[in-house]
Amino acid sequence: MGKVYTGFGYWDVGAWILFFAVAAFYILWLRAQGRSDYKKGTAQDEIYWSGNEVPEDGADLTVPASSAYWGFRKALEPFYKGLLGMHTGLPADVVGYYVLTVAVLAVFVLLV
Amino acid sequence: MNWNEHFPALLLIIPLFGAFLAPVCSLGGKMARNILLVAASFLTLVVAFLLWRSVLANGIQYYVMGGENFRLALPSGMALPVRIILEVDAFSAFMALCGSIAAFAGALFSVNYMNRFSGQSRFTSLYLLLATGMLGMMITGDLFNFFIFIEISSIASFGLIAFWRDKPSAIEASLKYTLVSQVGSMLILIAAGSLYGKYNALNMAAIGSSLTMGTMEKLALVFLVGSLAMKCGAFPMHMWLPDAYAEAPTGVTCLLVAVSQASLYGLMRVCFSIYGVAMGSTFVPWMIIIFGLASMFFGVSMAVVQHDIKRLMGYHSVSQVGYMLLGLGVGLLVLGDARGMADFGFTAIKGGVFHVFNYTMYKALLFLTAGALYYATGKKDLNEMGGLARRMPYTTFMFVIAAAAISGLPPFNGFVSKLLIYESSFAVHPSLAVVALLTSVLTLASFVKVFQTAFLGPEKNNLLHVQEVPPAMLLGMVVLTAAILGATLFPSWTLSNLVEPAARALVDQSGYIGAIVGGGM
Amino acid sequence: MIGNAPFFVVGVLFLMGLVSLFLSKNLIKIAIAISIIGSAVNIFLVSLGYRAGGTIPVHFLAGEGSTMVLPTPQAMTLTAIVIALATTALLLSLIMLVWRHYGTLDIDEIRRLRG
Repeated sequence: MGKVYTGFGYWDVGAWILFFAVAAFYILWLRAQGRSDYKKGTAQDEIYWSGNEVPEDGADLTVPASSAYWGFRKALEPFYKGLLGMHTGLPADVVGYYVLTVAVLAVFVLLV
Repeated sequence: MNWNEHFPALLLIIPLFGAFLAPVCSLGGKMARNILLVAASFLTLVVAFLLWRSVLANGIQYYVMGGENFRLALPSGMALPVRIILEVDAFSAFMALCGSIAAFAGALFSVNYMNRFSGQSRFTSLYLLLATGMLGMMITGDLFNFFIFIEISSIASFGLIAFWRDKPSAIEASLKYTLVSQVGSMLILIAAGSLYGKYNALNMAAIGSSLTMGTMEKLALVFLVGSLAMKCGAFPMHMWLPDAYAEAPTGVTCLLVAVSQASLYGLMRVCFSIYGVAMGSTFVPWMIIIFGLASMFFGVSMAVVQHDIKRLMGYHSVSQVGYMLLGLGVGLLVLGDARGMADFGFTAIKGGVFHVFNYTMYKALLFLTAGALYYATGKKDLNEMGGLARRMPYTTFMFVIAAAAISGLPPFNGFVSKLLIYESSFAVHPSLAVVALLTSVLTLASFVKVFQTAFLGPEKNNLLHVQEVPPAMLLGMVVLTAAILGATLFPSWTLSNLVEPAARALVDQSGYIGAIVGGGM
Repeated sequence: MIGNAPFFVVGVLFLMGLVSLFLSKNLIKIAIAISIIGSAVNIFLVSLGYRAGGTIPVHFLAGEGSTMVLPTPQAMTLTAIVIALATTALLLSLIMLVWRHYGTLDIDEIRRLRG
């Protein structure tokens, strides 16, 4: 139960969960080695935000989702320009790609 | 009365009857209508489960509609089956089970999700009608009846996607879906009609038994494959899918996921059971593999840069359908070659079929969590959400499970089905597995983005009122989570009892034909 | 060759509907184009069932006749007509709602969902 034999190897979910449990135990033990004798509420407890003042509203603190992968997007800008240019949203394009694909398929299936 | 024999018909009658009963039940108040919705979808789930058990025990089950005896496939003196016959083999029963689980979860979710909106009786009626259309697509054995059920589910989805009439984007999404769906359905009808014109039969088994490849059959195959791939959401015909999934109410999106799986079922039924080994050249399998690769890669590339949560998940739907098309296409490629089939073909088909089950479960769960976020915060844009993990712990937990499953992280079930697809597609050509792995990485990337921005991070001041969603919605999500965890913890049981009979039934064209026509090919 | 004339008509109508679907700017014209495509497919289905010299496919009190045309495509066509009716009704009501929201029926203006 729990061992899947693919044609090329096997996957054992019990072994994986056991390994994960051992690793989790080790990690939690390491975390528990921290000191708990710090003074709460004083300067020892505050967030360090590169020396700036921490804003009150969490909304000023977060990186918005649209800028999450800006490096990835900027590096692949030609690719994304073409891909986003293809998704125009015009209904004629939506039906057009479908009819074009079926037409190309029909031509090729008769040739090949 | 032996109930076992009537399950195929009951599977269609229960949601259809519920759909027509909904306006009457609404006269009894909100509670009566909600009870009808949940009860009808639960009964459908029970019947689908019992039908699956019965098919696994007794083999292919068929049901003749409208004849003097519901078991009389070939009436006396007839050479062809002349009535509409529902034919349920293990693959159909498997898909019906997946679809019913998704429908039940969506129904549970919609009980609370829709309680701010009016027109509920129409929603219930259309929802159950969509469930009927989906289940009908999965169990029918007749090509024209398949077209009818596609139209039933399409018309119900046009209405359901545009359900929030006051949002212009919903109307626009439904309009675009209507246009492309109508053209597609007309092409399916042309293909069905031309196959009828030559073989004088509409029954899938009868056409399959007497099919010989020629120009007309090739064109009919291309029309059917192209239109059904469009309804699944294969690239480049997928443009309607993110719009429609984003603008529909969330319970409906949960069901639409299962409906696109029914179109995938139709595609596989046409390729494996009607055409099968008569397909001749390997052009169509390679086209399906290329659709799969393109959908995978371009779907996830579009998904990484989205910031509307349901649109992002809609693009992920496109990419996951690519996985299924890749797996099933690799299996179709070596259908006639016994050694290739034993080496990697059957593993690919098992991977594709298992991925159908996994995808329906975790995708429906992802959409339900997105709907829960919308219900709790009122926002759909990821830029405006943040720090919700402390306030919505159950939703966060289930989202983590679903996101890990879709990214193919071990130990979840998504990893097992993707492993089967990676290994078998590697045997065809290494680049197929490379594209699949790259897609998995990008999927993980985009879900880490969603998790970080929506759930982690500091709390925003305008979201301090957020609390956990009502229990009926949580129950809908728990149903799907239980299915995912079941498939995670017992992968070999799931593979050998759920997936392998379905994969075997899909490959067995002569068994499918022989059950109706008798005497085989 | 003359017996294949209905199929040429089907092809011409289908292409006319498809071309009009792409080139029209007005949403009502696109709805009409879809209706034309539906009619083309219906003509195709009906003309599939024709048998040369056949009479109506009725047994009782139908008069003389040796061959009959096939009734199944006629049933298919009726079903397809009803489905096209339901879809056209939905499409027209969607177009009406688009008019109410966007104020225009120009298809290039209806692009709020993109990317």
